Amino acid sequence: MVLFRAKKFDLGCFTNIGIIRDHSKRKAFAAHEAERQALRYIIRNTTLPARTRAMAQLQLTQMHCYTRSTQINNRCILGGKSRGVFSDFKMTRYNFRLQALEGNLPGVKKASW
Amino acid sequence: MSVPRARLLALMKARCELFSTTYNPEGIRTGNKILRQKLKGPSFVAYYPRKITTFREFQDEFKSLELEIEDEDELDRLDHISELKARSKGAPKKKREKEIKKK
Repeated sequence: MVLFRAKKFDLGCFTNIGIIRDHSKRKAFAAHEAERQALRYIIRNTTLPARTRAMAQLQLTQMHCYTRSTQINNRCILGGKSRGVFSDFKMTRYNFRLQALEGNLPGVKKASW
Repeated sequence: MSVPRARLLALMKARCELFSTTYNPEGIRTGNKILRQKLKGPSFVAYYPRKITTFREFQDEFKSLELEIEDEDELDRLDHISELKARSKGAPKKKREKEIKKK
């Protein structure tokens, strides 16, 4: 969604549309997280009247899907791929292998016994 | 030997006062666990590395000292474009809005 995209390009890694989209989703989520948590609190609180809780449920479902944390998907910062990404290194398994063999990842070495 | 419930509740109350937690003997769901959760947003946003400086900003830093730095990538790009235009293979010019309106 162009609605959530940054006015000025602000990424310093490999970029494709997937990464731009995921980055704007992350920012949208962070901006609306407090609101979402407040609504979730109202929904879970059984001491509140049923009507306000139902209203909160409606409001939460009507929020934009970009503000949902489940929309966020870790992507490779070297190739933009979304599958086979090691979250510790933010890289796909193949890019991780290349970088590790080159010695760019401190503390990583090829196993041999 | 069984302990009476009233005594257990008193113990619970004393414990809640000590550790400053809410006394809730019936176990009513108040949704407090959501207020206790940490916000995940800041760590999510920090996933992709951000652009630190642009070449233009780097050039501007040295402008006050009257030093000029050449951006080789930009020069290469301009060379390539002028080469294409010399062979008349460049991108077409933008249409002017006024001309379109006249037609």
